[in-house]
Amino acid sequence: MKLLNKKIITLFSIVFLLAGYDGLSQDAQKGDLNISLSSFISNNKIPYVVAKVKTKIDGKFQMVSGINLNLFLDKDSAGTLIAKVVTNEKGEALAVIPPSLKNEWASTINHTFLATFDGNQKYEASKADVTVIKAKILIDTTSDRKVTATFLEMKDTAWTPVKGVELKIAVKRFDADLSVNETATFTTDSLGQASADFKRDSIPGDSKGNIILVAKVEDNDQYGNLSIEQTVPWGSKFAGENNFYKRTLFATRDKAPVWLLLMAYSIVIVVWGILFSLVDTIFKIKKLGQQIKS
Amino acid sequence: MENLNSEEKIIQDLLPQGFNKSGRIWTGILIALCLVGMFAYYRQLRYGLIVTSMRDYVSWGIYISNFVFFVAISLVGSLITAVFRLSKVEWSTPLTRIAEMIAVAAIIFASVIIIVDMGSPERFYNLFIHGRVQSPIIWDVIVITTYFFISILLLYFPLLPDIKILIGHKETKDHRFKYLFKFYNFLGSFWKGTPEQFKLSERAINILCITIIPVAFSIHTVTSWLFATTYRPGWDSTNFGAYFISGAFLVGGGAVLVAMYVFRKAYHLEKYITEDHFEKMGKMVVLLALLYLYFNINEYLVPAFKMKKSEEAHLTGLFTGEFAPLFWFAILVGMILPIIILLFKKGRKPLPVFIAGIMVVVGAWFKRYLIVTPTLLHPFLPMTNVPESYRHYFPSWEEWAIAIGSLAGALLVITILARIFPIIPIHETLTEQHETAE
Repeated sequence: MKLLNKKIITLFSIVFLLAGYDGLSQDAQKGDLNISLSSFISNNKIPYVVAKVKTKIDGKFQMVSGINLNLFLDKDSAGTLIAKVVTNEKGEALAVIPPSLKNEWASTINHTFLATFDGNQKYEASKADVTVIKAKILIDTTSDRKVTATFLEMKDTAWTPVKGVELKIAVKRFDADLSVNETATFTTDSLGQASADFKRDSIPGDSKGNIILVAKVEDNDQYGNLSIEQTVPWGSKFAGENNFYKRTLFATRDKAPVWLLLMAYSIVIVVWGILFSLVDTIFKIKKLGQQIKS
Repeated sequence: MENLNSEEKIIQDLLPQGFNKSGRIWTGILIALCLVGMFAYYRQLRYGLIVTSMRDYVSWGIYISNFVFFVAISLVGSLITAVFRLSKVEWSTPLTRIAEMIAVAAIIFASVIIIVDMGSPERFYNLFIHGRVQSPIIWDVIVITTYFFISILLLYFPLLPDIKILIGHKETKDHRFKYLFKFYNFLGSFWKGTPEQFKLSERAINILCITIIPVAFSIHTVTSWLFATTYRPGWDSTNFGAYFISGAFLVGGGAVLVAMYVFRKAYHLEKYITEDHFEKMGKMVVLLALLYLYFNINEYLVPAFKMKKSEEAHLTGLFTGEFAPLFWFAILVGMILPIIILLFKKGRKPLPVFIAGIMVVVGAWFKRYLIVTPTLLHPFLPMTNVPESYRHYFPSWEEWAIAIGSLAGALLVITILARIFPIIPIHETLTEQHETAE
């Protein structure tokens, strides 16, 4: 009986210990991922898609890096795979439509981009899609500094102007775009056109006065993101002062200021000249001593 | 005849003496410490600077503190030998060689420790092939090399007459010391003591004494500029050159106090290093400590009065924060207590002077640590997203071993120099004896 009691106690102890062991317990509740997709076409070239992945932590959305996504065109199958991507530290991943999907892209006038996530130890599986109509944007300028943007969509087999599309006509700068005049956005007319007078005459361009004009449609529900650029010589010539190749205290070793070189070398030459003369004195003393010996 | 006996007695007293039992133990300890330091350095070479506690923020730790300390202590050569000689301070004669030995040993290890700090020693070569004359680092390399060379010459020229005495003395001809005898012959067998030789030697020593002063000022100013030309809290100061020079004079003076006492005891030199020397050097150190204290007040009180936001963390860290015990230790033990001890006549007796000297030297070492490290832990831009180890600095055992090994190495060089050469210039002592007798 005592032996039986011992065995029962041992059994309960093992069960009790195992119950506290994490490895045997069920997985902790996984987080949900929010995937958003955007399509882009720059200068009417090859489209690309950008996926952004975020999750809610402590009531705030935070970007998630290291998420493996499969991006597809129109349907979730091996033949329509755009790319397998991993999100970066900003939670973003980008893929350009590969040449193998060229025919698929040309076959219809609207397309759906799909993103799937198969799930991992931390997050549940998730998917997202976005559908866009094939479109393009054109830019034109006149000698009286007028900029005209034309927005066209593919209907059947022809490019057709679209009325009522909101777009920006701007000058491309380093950090952001600067509208060509006081109006922030423009809307296309029945010809699919929006025109703007260029009123940034004094804006600095490159050394030849070139600036880049840009017309763009952003986050449009039907068409996604489209932009086109054109270089025009409408800016002021900018001759940047570059001290990099001049003699300065902060330049490379071969560009030390002349005054510093003169000072440094003269001090070194004088001091070491004295020291070498003192070494010579030792030899003179030695010679004097040897003369006495002989 | 009496004069001859007296001369012989002086020579006997001042000839280099072999190590007795305690001398051998002392040397053995120093060699052991150097070996441990070398092993730690081997580990640093083998595994890289990761064995140290230096990281992205604290990239200068106790190696550079040690370097600044060595550079500072080496100034003693120019103080005792050059300044005193040019000012015709005759009582300093017995102290000149001690000062020069300390200077040579310190400047050797200043160079060694800077190479240790580079990690891989071959990087030293890069200083020459990529070094920019616009950089204080290159100025430091040039000026340290120059100072080392001057210190060697300043040790060598006054030694020549003594080497003649050493060569001529029967004890050095003992077969047990045949290599030492050969070494003396190599160094100075040509010295015959003719008036022409003396004239040339005296001229050389005078030129060296004049040259070493601006070079010594340069070495300390340039070392201070390594910090002051870097825009950081605690280093962004126009006061740094003078602050470093005054600190260097003080620690050099403190080191001489310690060395005077130790050599006097170990070699029974009471007749040559008298209580009067302690009295005068004690007064000198009080003056130097007051001067350094003045610069410290300038260095800390003015920024503390303004308490700029960007410097607040650094200053409060020193006054009341994590570095406060070290900071107040360095101020009290390194300056204020030695001033109090040495201000009184009883405090200028050999033993209290020795204790004050130790305080000055120890305080000075920690002062250099406080100049280097706390600033690096308080950059202008906040530390974000860095490992915890980047936010604090406490030296690894390898760093301690190398730093202690270098200090032991400097003491070993002084010990060996004192074993080979007379600690007190024999010829100059004899000359002074003659002049006094006349």
